[in-house]
Amino acid sequence: MIHTENLTKVYRMGDAEVHALRDVNLEIKDGEFIAIKGPSGSGKSTLLNMIGCLDTPTSGSVFIDNTDTATLNENELAEIRREKIGFIFQQFNLVHTLNAVENVALPMFFAGVRRDTRLKRAEELLVNVGLGDRVHHKPSELSGGQQQRVAIARALSNDPEVVIGDEPTGNVDTETGNAIMDILEGLNKEGRTIIVVTHDPEIAAHAGRTKRMRDGMVLD
Amino acid sequence: MRDKFLVAYRSIRERRARSILTVLGIAVGIAAIVALMSVGYGMEEAITGELTGMADMISVVPGRITGATYVELGSFTDRDVKDVQRIAGIKDITAMTYDAAEVEYRNERSPIFILGGDTKELGSFYVDPVGIKEGRWLRENDFKGCVIGDRVANDFFDEVIHVNDKLIINGEKFIVVGVFEKASTMYAADVDPHLFFTLRASQEVLQTDEVKYIMVRVYDIDEAEGIAEEIEEAINDNHGLDDFAMAMTMGSMIEQIGDVFNIIRGVLVGIAAIALVVASIGIMNTMLMSVMERTHEIGVMKAIGAKSSDVLSLFLLESSMVSLVGGVVGCVVGVIVAKVISFGAGAALGIEMTAVVKPEVLLGGMAVAMVVGVLSGFYPARKASRMSPVEAVRYE
Repeated sequence: MIHTENLTKVYRMGDAEVHALRDVNLEIKDGEFIAIKGPSGSGKSTLLNMIGCLDTPTSGSVFIDNTDTATLNENELAEIRREKIGFIFQQFNLVHTLNAVENVALPMFFAGVRRDTRLKRAEELLVNVGLGDRVHHKPSELSGGQQQRVAIARALSNDPEVVIGDEPTGNVDTETGNAIMDILEGLNKEGRTIIVVTHDPEIAAHAGRTKRMRDGMVLD
Repeated sequence: MRDKFLVAYRSIRERRARSILTVLGIAVGIAAIVALMSVGYGMEEAITGELTGMADMISVVPGRITGATYVELGSFTDRDVKDVQRIAGIKDITAMTYDAAEVEYRNERSPIFILGGDTKELGSFYVDPVGIKEGRWLRENDFKGCVIGDRVANDFFDEVIHVNDKLIINGEKFIVVGVFEKASTMYAADVDPHLFFTLRASQEVLQTDEVKYIMVRVYDIDEAEGIAEEIEEAINDNHGLDDFAMAMTMGSMIEQIGDVFNIIRGVLVGIAAIALVVASIGIMNTMLMSVMERTHEIGVMKAIGAKSSDVLSLFLLESSMVSLVGGVVGCVVGVIVAKVISFGAGAALGIEMTAVVKPEVLLGGMAVAMVVGVLSGFYPARKASRMSPVEAVRYE
C-alpha cells in the first residue's frame, strides 16, 4: 500500500516559490489501477516522481508498505526504485547505446542478476509485450509504440508490485495508446498496482479510480 | 563485473571519435615519457658502455680540471714516469708529449696537435678501439713516419691526405704511414684531429722532452681509485706541490657522466610531465563532456534503480579503460619513437646507440596512464553519480 501524508513540494525559481504540491494526502491500495488527471502544471508529474522515489518532498511523506521514504538514504531509495517500482516515461527513456533486450535487462543488471538469467527473462518480457522479433534492435530502429513497449518490459524486469506511468501514451498514436493501456490493464489483473498520470480522459477511463489535480492539490 | 565492462565498452564505442582522441591524448603523454626516458638511458649506456671498456685506465695530467676547463700547471719529468712505474698494480704506463705545431701539406699550413708516445702503448690505447683505415700503425723505428687522424686527413687541408703523402713540420719532412678510421664519440677528440709520432720523433719535432700526459692501465679495476691517489702523491712529492698532478680513473668519469645524465633525465621527465598534464586535462574534458551528454541517461539509470556507486563505477571503469588503451598505445609508440630517435641520433653522432627500454619505465608509464585516467575521470564520475534522478531525467 502507498499513501502520502501532507506531501508538499516547493520549487524555488529565483525569488519566487512555486508550490508544485500542497499537503497532498492520497491513499493507493495494493492491486489498484488509479489514474491521476489534470492540466499541465497541476503537479501530477511531481506527485508521481515523489511516489516513484525519484524526488524528495519539501515536507510531508510518502509511505510505501508503511515505510516512510523520507527516512531512507539514497541507496535505500535506489533499492525501492529497483525492486518495488517499475517506471514508464512519456519519452520512453531507453538507453540508446543498448538494444531492446539489454535495455529490458538493465534494472536486473543493477540488481546483480546473472547475465544469462537476465537476458533470458528480458527476452521473455519482450515476447510478452509482442516484440519477440525485435529483441536485438536498437531504440532508434523501433517505432514510438515499440519503444514504449520495450519500456514497459523494462519496468517489469524486477517484477515490481507497482507500475507507474507518466503520460505513457503521450507520445504515441491513439491506437498504440489503447494497446499500451490494454497491457497495463493486463498487468493490473495480475495483481500489480498501476498508477498512471494523464490528461486524456479516454486513457483515464481504463483505470478503476480517477483522481483530479489542480494547483498542486488533489481534488475530490 | 564483466557486464560493467561491456556497458562501459559500449559507451566508449558509441562515442568512437572522441574516445580515440582521448586515447591519443593519453598516448602522446605516455609516449613522450617512455621515449624520452628510453633515449636518455640509451645515451647513457652508449657512453658509459664505451667508457667501461676503458675502465682499467687512469689518465694523469699535470694540471687541474675544474668543470669544463683545464689549467696546465707544467709538465711531468722522466722521474715522475719512473716513480709511477714503481707503483704496485700497474700493468702498462705510457708517457706522452703533446703540443701544437705548424704542419705544411702541399704548400698549405695548419696548426695541428701532435701526440707522441711509446708506439706499442699508444697503439693499445688507440689502434684497437678506433682502427686503421689506410696503411699501418707506427713502428718503434719510424723516426720519419706519422699516423694521422680522420679530420687531419680529410678536413684540415684542401686536399685529402693519403698514405705516403709528405708533411713538413719545422722544416723536416715526414711520411704518412697510416690513417685512422673516423673515431666514435668517445675517442673522436683524442684521435681525429691529431698527428701521432713515436716519442723520440715527437720530442724532436716539438723540440722538448717534456711529458704532458701519462696513461696507466691497472690489473684490478677495483684498485684503480687507490692507485690513482698513489700516482698523484708520488708526482706531487716530486714537484713539491699539493695539487700538481691529477689522476682520473674511468670509474670516476663514469660517475660524473651518470650525474649529468640524471639531470638530463630529470629535464626530459619534466617535459614529458607537461605533455601528460595536457593529456589529463583532455581526459577530464572528455569525461565531463561525456557526463553532460549523458545526464539524461544517468537519470534514467538511476530512475530504474542504479545506485550512485553503480553510476560512479561505470564512469570510472570507462575512463580507466580509455586510459589503459591510451597507456598501451603510448608505450608502443614511445618505444618505436625512442628507437627511431636513437637510430637517427646515433647515425648523426657516429656512435652505436640503441634506446634502452626498461620494464620499469613501461610499467611506470602504464601506472601513470591509469592514475591520470582514474583521477581525471573521478570528478566527472562523481558529478554524474550525484545527480538527482528526476532532474537528470528531465535534462535533454
